[in-house]
Amino acid sequence: MTCEEFEMAGLDLGVAGAGSPLQVAAREHLRQCPHCAALHESWQTLQEDLQVVGAETQDASTPSRVEMRLRQEFRTKHKTLKRRRVAIAAAWALAAAAVVVGAMSWVNWRQDRNGSVVAHRTNGTTPATSTSSGQGVDRAALAGPELGETLQASNDAGEFTLLPGSMPGALDDATVVRVRLQREALSSLGLTVNEERAADWIQVELLVGDDGQPQAVRLPQSTTD
Amino acid sequence: MQIEAHETDDVLLRRSAKGDEEAFTQLYRRHQAPLYRFALRMSGNAWAAEEIVQDVFMTLIREPGKFDPARGTVGALLYGIARNRVLKHLERAPRELSQEEMGDDGYGKQARVFEAMTPAHWAEIRERRDRVRAAVLELPVEFREAVVLCGLEEMSYEEAAHLLDCPVGTIRSRLHRGRALLLAKLEMLRDAPRRAGASR
Repeated sequence: MTCEEFEMAGLDLGVAGAGSPLQVAAREHLRQCPHCAALHESWQTLQEDLQVVGAETQDASTPSRVEMRLRQEFRTKHKTLKRRRVAIAAAWALAAAAVVVGAMSWVNWRQDRNGSVVAHRTNGTTPATSTSSGQGVDRAALAGPELGETLQASNDAGEFTLLPGSMPGALDDATVVRVRLQREALSSLGLTVNEERAADWIQVELLVGDDGQPQAVRLPQSTTD
Repeated sequence: MQIEAHETDDVLLRRSAKGDEEAFTQLYRRHQAPLYRFALRMSGNAWAAEEIVQDVFMTLIREPGKFDPARGTVGALLYGIARNRVLKHLERAPRELSQEEMGDDGYGKQARVFEAMTPAHWAEIRERRDRVRAAVLELPVEFREAVVLCGLEEMSYEEAAHLLDCPVGTIRSRLHRGRALLLAKLEMLRDAPRRAGASR
């Protein structure tokens, strides 16, 4: 082994096994070369010094306050995340609730509006439209029992009683109008009225022709007693 | 939730990312000491080492997604972050050697070992130790890393290469040159020609 080879192998000498060819050659070279022997001694001294310095901090570890700080930070971070998720979920829930409330309010408003004046366009014996909207009757039929009665009334033109002087042919394009009046007012349409209950308020459906004159009348079930 | 002692770092990190504080604590306890020693030996400053370890785990708390199992282990990731923090610290305070601060929780514990010696012997050893420590801290960073990991932490070349993400040959070469520089700094060669210094 030459001096250069010894220097190059220097680091691995400690790693190599005691009986390895590298160790044997190195030991042989050390016996012959005082320079490399001195170098080797220096390495060993340095190695020992490094071990002493290393041993000083062998058991060193982070102070416990760091763990406490980190755990606090961990908790804060994850609590904040959790809060943010809850806030987002709550915001979506509120938005959904607002949409539902809005939709229900709109439906109620529509029902109220249709309840006070339901106008319905009829087409021959198959009435299909109301005065407020072409699809109002269909919607009303789906909406609830109150408007369902209206639909039943408008769909069943046969229940209407023609007023005296009206012609069945004039019912084309007639409009159904629901009005509230005193029973005695029916006499002005040419109908017979029970005098004892003439002052009662009743709800009546009138079939109004193009000329604005009522052509037929129908008393809904609830008011015909 | 119960955490098994053999739970891998990957699993602990995944659970920690989901908010499991116990998993995070176990991960911290597993890695804090070697990271602290590395930072302490690289910076020579206990306060800096503490800050560095704290920074490393803060990064893990804030960005758990930084870990990619395909690129290495959690330990290597932590060492990588610690190494960056150490380099930043050294850039800010290149020659900061606050050895007075080291008594509490850094260096100085070994003093108890020397209690049985005579004061003169103890003083000599301490002086020598301080010189070695100072010489290590004066090494260029890349050589210092190799000396700290292989010389002080007593890692194998392979382990050090893995942590520093470089070939084993590079570690061996850096260690060789680091040791030569240390010898030159400590003027230990005395009569021997300064071949090691000349090899730089």
